[in-house]
Amino acid sequence: MPTLLEAKEVTKVYRKSGHPSLNKVSFRVAEGEFIGIMGASGSGKTTLLNVLSTIDTPTSGNIWINNVNLKSLNHTSAADFRRDNLGFIFQEYFLLDSLTIRENIAVPLTLQKLPPKKIENMVRSLAERFGIASQLNKYPGELSGGQRQRASAARAIVKKPSILFADEPTGALDSSSATELLNTLYEANKELQTTILMVTHDAYAASFTKRILIFKDGCIIKEIMNQGNNRRDFYESIAAEITKLDSAR
Amino acid sequence: MNTISMAFKNLRKNFSFYALYILSVSLVITVYFAFTSFSMNNVMLEKISGDGRVESMCKAISVFLIAFVIFYMSYSNRFFLRRRTKELGIYALLGYRKESILSLLISENIIIGIFALVMGLVSGAIMHKGIVFGTTVLLNLSIDNAKIPFFNFIAVADTIVFILGVLFVLALSNARFLFKTSLMDLVRFEKSAERSMKFRKISALLGFILIIVGYGLALDIFRGNASLWFSVGFYPTGLMTAMLIVAGTVLFIASFLPYAAQKSKRHKKTFYTETKIVTVPDFIYRIRSNAKTLIMLTLLSAATLTVSSVMALSLFYPIAAVARIAPSELEFRIEEEGQLSGAKLLVSQYAPDNSVTYIQTDIYKVTASAEKLPMEYSVGTSKGSADNENIFREAGFECISYSQYVSLLQAQRRNDIVGKLSVLQDDECILVKYQPNADGSNETGSIYSLNIHDGSIPLTVKATTLNNPISFANSIGTMIVSDNVYEQIKSGTVLENSIVSINGEGIEDNEKLFEDMSDLLDNSPYLQGHSHRVNEIMSASSSTFLLIGFLVVLFFIATGSILYFNNISAVSDSKADYEILSKMGYSNKKLKKILRKQILTFFSIPFLFGLIDCIFATIVYKTGLMQDLLGNTITLYFPTIIAVALTASIYFIYYFVTVHTCYKTVLNA
Repeated sequence: MPTLLEAKEVTKVYRKSGHPSLNKVSFRVAEGEFIGIMGASGSGKTTLLNVLSTIDTPTSGNIWINNVNLKSLNHTSAADFRRDNLGFIFQEYFLLDSLTIRENIAVPLTLQKLPPKKIENMVRSLAERFGIASQLNKYPGELSGGQRQRASAARAIVKKPSILFADEPTGALDSSSATELLNTLYEANKELQTTILMVTHDAYAASFTKRILIFKDGCIIKEIMNQGNNRRDFYESIAAEITKLDSAR
Repeated sequence: MNTISMAFKNLRKNFSFYALYILSVSLVITVYFAFTSFSMNNVMLEKISGDGRVESMCKAISVFLIAFVIFYMSYSNRFFLRRRTKELGIYALLGYRKESILSLLISENIIIGIFALVMGLVSGAIMHKGIVFGTTVLLNLSIDNAKIPFFNFIAVADTIVFILGVLFVLALSNARFLFKTSLMDLVRFEKSAERSMKFRKISALLGFILIIVGYGLALDIFRGNASLWFSVGFYPTGLMTAMLIVAGTVLFIASFLPYAAQKSKRHKKTFYTETKIVTVPDFIYRIRSNAKTLIMLTLLSAATLTVSSVMALSLFYPIAAVARIAPSELEFRIEEEGQLSGAKLLVSQYAPDNSVTYIQTDIYKVTASAEKLPMEYSVGTSKGSADNENIFREAGFECISYSQYVSLLQAQRRNDIVGKLSVLQDDECILVKYQPNADGSNETGSIYSLNIHDGSIPLTVKATTLNNPISFANSIGTMIVSDNVYEQIKSGTVLENSIVSINGEGIEDNEKLFEDMSDLLDNSPYLQGHSHRVNEIMSASSSTFLLIGFLVVLFFIATGSILYFNNISAVSDSKADYEILSKMGYSNKKLKKILRKQILTFFSIPFLFGLIDCIFATIVYKTGLMQDLLGNTITLYFPTIIAVALTASIYFIYYFVTVHTCYKTVLNA
């Protein structure tokens, strides 16, 4: 598989005297991969997500996505880059409250200036796949947390981004909604070949990915691969690894 | 930490948040204090009000002012309280008693009140001095400025007591809010559940219809005597129109606008664009939660615009009409021998002879016969139909010659009119109208046969004009005939009047000269003076305008600040929305565009509605209540246009400041 994202020696220092939030982090993500980022609070997960998604700039080091060096982007071209390449899912859903679910999912497509008919068809077919077709005319406030998060995932995936960033997507969900969402992401990865980079501290959520990078103090301290195809086994090995790390604290 | 120091810290930390609040409250106090000082300024009132008229107006306006200050301060207080509910909830969670929270709020309000009061008193005193100075210059009053104190202590005490009273009322209402709201509601107040939106088609349509009917009724006034305004009566129809428009505005904003916006979503081509897909739903959402504020602002701005434009019109109109009522700087009728030389002698004491022109016009009154004679022919012949009811006028045309007409116009420096004239033939005349005919007809082409001693002279009306060269006090039914015809009339008719018109830069705007002239002529009612008339109008109406001006300024401050607060609050509430849009790939430029559109919509609803209401109200006022001396020229609407332009620029400044603050709120995140 060709490389989609490459981070090389990425460092981010917020305060001159303080510890770096990211310390010479290097890794690659292949096209079509579903990768998990784990770590305790303050380990640099959010900073990593911010610099990868052009919202923040690293102090040093380089990041390439689709062979574009993010350093070369200015304010406006970064916005265009996000529009064309990146999708986001957040713990708090961040749906626009005044828009219906249909309109929420349609926003990224209008930004790409697609014709209305095409937008409607794309929204509908994705909503069906995500099980929210009957909620399209409702407002976010009328939906359950799980439905909202699926709507938010649909909004991120509908524009077929090169890579989808998911920041603790199951953090606010109950276990059955979380499972539904993770299955949806898993299928999207498998069937639509969407590359997903998911930040989570939940071993269960992480077990849906194919590879996990564990962060501590701004560095990658461990990489776990899902060698077999059994999610249950992968979960066990993640949990074991986490316990080991915890006992070392 | 005690509450006072907590309140101080809070205010200092959120300075930018409170700065505009303090500023707007201090502006309101400025206006209030300036007004109170003015109404207690006996030196001034003695000069501009002989009959207690201004005093009673002051009282009426102060009621408005007080009501308004209370309304405005409680609105802003409520607004800031809402924005801080969560913070107050956290205090409560930490274990603060509601009494302590209340005393925190009261301390904050007192600190803000003191700041605003000090600023307001100083700038109010300056404003008052400015008004006194302006009025003195404008009206040529001789006032010893030293006699007027910078701070009128009774006014200061009055203002302080009043503001304390308002603060007390605010404390009561805050207490009510705090003790009525449960802890749970305090913490979760901001995220109150969204109700699903219903769109009521019938009230939407009704709003639309009511407005159209209301405006239609206003336009009905153009039908003249046949209109409801005359058949039913001006005031009942006016009341009906106002009620229709107010009710229509309420429904239009609350139902029609969201309904129409919802319908507009069906138009997929325009809706599925990067801006509209955000702004249209946001508009529906905001208009539904802010309909009340928006309706209030719309009515407020309609009232402000209407009052200021009617005010401008009713000041400008009489002054513009002076050109007809007193076209010459000085004009009188020779009633006794020697008056002309006496007048010349008097004028020479004030101005060098070469800067003044004297024109004596001999007017000959001639009867005429025709199928239908114009209204001016017989005006004033029976008691009650003319300005000077006690003077009985014989019917007839009052003839002057064409060359006299031209030289009078030139002396009055109305060269633009002279330029458009063409020489009169002997069978032609120009008829000076008192006012345009109500039905829009015109005497041009009519033939009047003038009766002179040896027969009659048929004259065709070549044109009618509103540019009378002689005041109405001295001539009505003036007819301008060719020089030959004039000579013919002169030879066989008894002289009616000799009018002297005095013009020239050297004698302009000289009240003293006018007084002396009046003495010289034994207070003759036939003495007319252009500048004198203008000054009379200015001093009679200036106090009214000044007082209404206070109200208008206050309205502007309120409308602008409420729009500002409302937009800032809406935008900072949805700050997360803009963040997510930015992450989706909306560039700052696009976000700014969305912000501008959202804010512009909210500014333009009250402004445009106010503008339309103002246009209709001005039309009704002008057509129904004002004498039609000047005909329908566009220059008449000049002051209205200026008033509207001023309003527009004030709105624009507020819009600009609001947009700027919103940019900062959203894009600095």
